[in-house]
Amino acid sequence: MKKYPINIWINEERYKSLIEKGLEHLAKDVLAGMKVIQVFCTEEEKEKILKLFPTAKLDTSTTNSIELLPPEVKNKIFKLILKRKSLDVVGELLREIDR
Amino acid sequence: MKMDFTGQGGKQIVERVISYNEAKGEIEGLEKIEISGRCARECINISYGFFTPLEGFMKQEDITAVCDKMTLKDGTLWSIPIVLDVDEKDAERAEKAGKVLLTYRNKPLAICEVEDVFKYERMKMAEAILGTTSKKHPGVRIFANMENTFIGGKVTLINQPKFNRPFDRFWYTPKRLREEFRKRGWKRVVAHQTRNVPHTGHEWLMKGAWFSVNGELSVEKLQSGILVSCIIGPKRVGDYIDEAILLSHKTLQEAGYFRDDIHMVSFVLWDMRYAGPKEAIFHAILRKNMGCTHHMFGRDHAGVGSFYDPYDAHRIFDRIDNKSLEIKPVRVLEWWYCPVCNEVTYSGFCAHINKRQNFSGTMIRSMIQDRVKPTSLIMRPEVFEIVQHCATRYGFGSPFSTEKYLRERQPVFELESF
Repeated sequence: MKKYPINIWINEERYKSLIEKGLEHLAKDVLAGMKVIQVFCTEEEKEKILKLFPTAKLDTSTTNSIELLPPEVKNKIFKLILKRKSLDVVGELLREIDR
Repeated sequence: MKMDFTGQGGKQIVERVISYNEAKGEIEGLEKIEISGRCARECINISYGFFTPLEGFMKQEDITAVCDKMTLKDGTLWSIPIVLDVDEKDAERAEKAGKVLLTYRNKPLAICEVEDVFKYERMKMAEAILGTTSKKHPGVRIFANMENTFIGGKVTLINQPKFNRPFDRFWYTPKRLREEFRKRGWKRVVAHQTRNVPHTGHEWLMKGAWFSVNGELSVEKLQSGILVSCIIGPKRVGDYIDEAILLSHKTLQEAGYFRDDIHMVSFVLWDMRYAGPKEAIFHAILRKNMGCTHHMFGRDHAGVGSFYDPYDAHRIFDRIDNKSLEIKPVRVLEWWYCPVCNEVTYSGFCAHINKRQNFSGTMIRSMIQDRVKPTSLIMRPEVFEIVQHCATRYGFGSPFSTEKYLRERQPVFELESF
């Protein structure tokens, strides 16, 4: 079951890209007007990500989300979302990193 | 009005500090013992009175009393052992010498009168203070990494630390702090302890605490203040860099979110034990010594992971005799953003529980890490800007501690070579 979110924060530039692809509905307000797109990981994907990126951590106290991933990884996830028009991109991300 | 220098246990704050020149004759020929960063920071704290009534590193009987009864040997409330751990050879040399020169980074720091040399079961200390011996607990790792033998005895600082910028602006000893509070006319001072860059949830915690503390006092001439007391100690990769913590809190004042006559920023050198409730007691003692009358405790104060219940650090004060701790805890619940109230609000007020949006420090770190400016309801724009500035100026491009920052950062303080 996919239950661990990764938050992709949406600024104006990114929001424009989403509108261009008709994907703006994917962004939701989460905290005081900030927009976010959440992609979800399975237990196995979560473990793999935490191992691959030692600075990342699971926010167990509040949101259960995977935080502090390097910005370039988040950029990559965002690009995959635009490319695939889907939020189901973590598997592809991990396969790309493995390569 | 006479200055009040009464610290924990009714003891006067005494600075055990002499100049190198005064000490010169006394230290000639003394055995030298190089101490760890933690011991050096604690030696400095003892010497300036942050740890009153301690005049030195704890002797065995005090440690046992702290572990068993949460007091010193004489019954004074105390919750964290303050110990000087050294290897066995150093311990033997110290015992023979009776008096030693403590050095840090090979520079003289303090004279230590060796009154007790002993072994102590480190994990017993960990269990008593932290309630666990799990290596997942960062406080346990502090105890586990200690040497096997300990020296107890009075210390006298002979080389005062020189703080580098920007720390120098924020360094106040307990005596200087009390003088500053008097100058400002503050009758009540509430401490806000932090290791974070402030988001608006923190800002409202402080503002709410100020209202609690000011109570019946006049509001025409404000007589209560907030002391933002930043913890500066060892860092882990991913923590905010120290400079960003201090300067972002100062920015809240400079940008006018707090008037400068009710708010000041300082720091304490301290290696967090993450001891939850027991550390809350310790922080209260520390801030009492610094002249504060109140100490704010929020959710999961000094906790880590799920080792403590989020409000254990509140409940422990119910078990403390008021007379043993002359500082009042200000207990606060969470502040959150409510889209119905359309504001940052207190969880003790807002009934839209299902609509609430919690401030997660980690989530906000994530926004900053991604360089996406949070809305001003989350973080003041000036705070975001100073954090980015600190990243460039001090953090090698990152507002968070990186391996490079940990390796190459400028030290918080330096000692003079004589």
